[in-house]
Amino acid sequence: MSEVLARSKTSLRWRLGPVWSLANLLLIVYLVTLATSFLGESIQVQLQFALVNLVIVVALQMFIGTSGVLSFGHIAFVAVGAWTVGLLTIEPDLKRSLLSDMFPFLFDVQAPWLVAVFIGGAVGGLLALVVSPFLMRLNGLQAGIATFALLGVVTQVLTYWSSIGPRSGQSMVGIPDVLTLQTTMFFALGAIVLAWLFQRTKPARLLRAAREDGIAAAASGINIVSQRIIAFAVSGIVAGVAGGLFALTNRVLQASQLGIELTFVTLAMLVLGGMLSLSGAVIGALVFSLIDVGLVQLQSGVDLGSFIVSLPQGVRPIILGLILVGFLIFRSSGLTGGREIVWPFRPQRTALPGVPVKNE
Amino acid sequence: MNQFIQSLVDAISGGAILGLAALSIGLVFGVIRLANFAQGEIITASAYTLIFTWQFGWFISIPLSIVVAIALSLLMEFAVFSRMRTATPATLLIASFGLSFLLQRVYELLFTNTVQTAPVASGLAQSIDVGGVRIQMLSVVTIILAGALLYGLTMFLTKSSLGLQLQAAAADFRTARLIGISASRVIGLSFALSGVLAAAVAFVSTVQTGAVGPTFGVPIVILALVGAVIGGIDKLSGALAGGFLVGFATSMLASWLPQDFSNFRDAYVFGLVILVLLFRPSGLLIKGRGVART
Amino acid sequence: MPTHEIGLVVENLCVSYAGVPAVRGVNLEVKAGEAIGLIGPNGAGKSSTLLGIMGATARTGTVRINGNDVTGLPPEKVVRQGVAIVPEGRHIFAELTVLDNLRLGLVGRREKTGIPEAFVDVFTLFPILEEFQGRKAGLLSGGQQQQLAIGRSLMANPDIILLDEPSLGLSPTAVDTVFEALDVVRKAGKAVLIVEQRAEFTIAFSDKTFVLHDGLITLTLGPDDANNVDALTKAYFG
Repeated sequence: MSEVLARSKTSLRWRLGPVWSLANLLLIVYLVTLATSFLGESIQVQLQFALVNLVIVVALQMFIGTSGVLSFGHIAFVAVGAWTVGLLTIEPDLKRSLLSDMFPFLFDVQAPWLVAVFIGGAVGGLLALVVSPFLMRLNGLQAGIATFALLGVVTQVLTYWSSIGPRSGQSMVGIPDVLTLQTTMFFALGAIVLAWLFQRTKPARLLRAAREDGIAAAASGINIVSQRIIAFAVSGIVAGVAGGLFALTNRVLQASQLGIELTFVTLAMLVLGGMLSLSGAVIGALVFSLIDVGLVQLQSGVDLGSFIVSLPQGVRPIILGLILVGFLIFRSSGLTGGREIVWPFRPQRTALPGVPVKNE
Repeated sequence: MNQFIQSLVDAISGGAILGLAALSIGLVFGVIRLANFAQGEIITASAYTLIFTWQFGWFISIPLSIVVAIALSLLMEFAVFSRMRTATPATLLIASFGLSFLLQRVYELLFTNTVQTAPVASGLAQSIDVGGVRIQMLSVVTIILAGALLYGLTMFLTKSSLGLQLQAAAADFRTARLIGISASRVIGLSFALSGVLAAAVAFVSTVQTGAVGPTFGVPIVILALVGAVIGGIDKLSGALAGGFLVGFATSMLASWLPQDFSNFRDAYVFGLVILVLLFRPSGLLIKGRGVART
Repeated sequence: MPTHEIGLVVENLCVSYAGVPAVRGVNLEVKAGEAIGLIGPNGAGKSSTLLGIMGATARTGTVRINGNDVTGLPPEKVVRQGVAIVPEGRHIFAELTVLDNLRLGLVGRREKTGIPEAFVDVFTLFPILEEFQGRKAGLLSGGQQQQLAIGRSLMANPDIILLDEPSLGLSPTAVDTVFEALDVVRKAGKAVLIVEQRAEFTIAFSDKTFVLHDGLITLTLGPDDANNVDALTKAYFG
């Protein structure tokens, strides 16, 4: 009798744990947003950017964390999503005068911003879907290089092809100011929920199994490539949406903002938090942004009573870089160690269905 | 026709330089499975050295640039990569990516974003007349330099004990240790050699542009890395060939692409890369379609 | 001050992989001029024992080479104490020539003298290596590669030689050649430790054979036990 009870207790925690971790994450994001609403305009703006980055990192985690395959190219999907939203939300007259080299039909296409964001997501997902049959066959290093090349292609095209955007050196301006911090938060919460749901789908479970042991997975008949394509496409959609949010937050777009530097920042966030878990993506994005905000404050000088502490210009990215490299050396599993946050329950190795609990 | 020969020489020279850069990446990868993104920053450091010390004479400046390259290379190994022996190649790639980013910002802090200039070996920047064709002297020097370095490296690898040990370690690291080959010595050697090659690349690139900024080495290493992978980063000959191919193609495209498309040159190269990886994931020079040891 | 004892002494060697023990307290000793066999079923821990001795995997216990404690030393330093290993599967460097493979064996050699003689000795032992010295090692047959692997280890002039399944994948004739050479090596005064799956052969050849079962030595056999079916069955099936 007690054995049955014991078993059902375990299975209750097994079932409750994942939901609890989701609730934890949503709560954390909500509380952080709430807290900053008392802290003044500039902090709120920085939080908005941080939330956009959070969505990107969640998209990254959906693919990299699940499949174990590296992708340097997700910012390409962010970029096309941002571009789409930019083109759809800028006033036609503004487009005609500033982006004069574009294809004529692009002058008149318009969409309400919310619709535009989802279209941006669709475009991101479509691009991911189109390239994935080719890229998803590759492992490790080659995948990194190939996705990096993809980013290179997209960046070059967006920079120079003035038929779909501004001329090189110029920016896309005039994106309307319609996105509030609150709405961004809802998008972030939605992305987290979506990622959480995705974790539970069959493709995600199969990919995690394949990540643990690729040969056994292939021998069991799992078509790894098709599962990866699904994960890549779905994460491409989320990345595209993030791009749309970026466009609406920044309100000015230039291809150079959506390239290697953003790739570095988002990867750093993911590594910091822990690549293998959704909690890692969320925590990593928030902690990194927090440190960044702190560094910005330090740069402008912090009054500690008897003296002022201030960071010289240019040290900030170095500190962030040191954090990334430091974590990769000393704690490559990140702050969360690849585990989900199930406080107040004790953390298990993983709280995900389909992954056996490993002894370490 | 003359224009074709000119562009051909330039392309061979461009290929030679990128081949050396790719080789420097392949040397380290062969031993510890690290594709070092930060190789670009070694090139930049060497270039900065040339710029700042050229005034003291080439016999000081050039050796110093080589020393700086080797020193920085060894420092990277000691400070970062030696602590990551059990990491997967993909994780190492992220680490080198992060290190590269970090160093670029350090250069920005130390030397500002403004490019530094100096008339390094300006005598080489002229053209000479060979049978009616105007050829860049620098291109000729580059080809000779690359050839000499390759010859020297090949002799070292095949004839000296240390060179053989390096080959053995690259082929089968575990067995190499079991027969007494010192892991740290071989790894240090690969980093040092890769530094020497980086210095050569830095020299040619600096003479070519005459100006160095914090991101000097970035475009070079991107193409070199990409070239090494498509040539087959597992083998030194593969990395060299891949780098040469990418350098050659980039140069030819620069010479012959019509004006409207020239901006997309890099996009074409990247597209080519993706295509090659599609059909030959292990690299062009590796026979069969096997997946590389990554 | 104890005399400089040539030989291998292993005390309470333990090796585990990710928490799973493979070797659970092995004690053995190999003296100069002796050949000791180590047999047992698959997964018994035979390879792990050899790798543990070489320091190639984390281990606890004491390993003494010629009286010197080598605990904690990495493989490249253990080699320089006077021990060489011929790994399972031979692991010769396929892209390099036979001669270069032999040259690499010199890296672990303690003395810088006697090198030409070392080549002569190896070529006398394995004439085929002299014939194929310029050929790429990957082109040799399995048996020839095994000869090369042994020759490579001999170039280091070790006092102790460890062999991991030298007969694996070899034809009977090739096995004969290998063990004839090992006999010469034993008679030359080296200490030889052979890990094998072929029980009868090893028991007949070695001065003493230990049976390893599930990480522990369970039985000791002598050459006379080679035809003793009962002892063999007990050795393998417990």
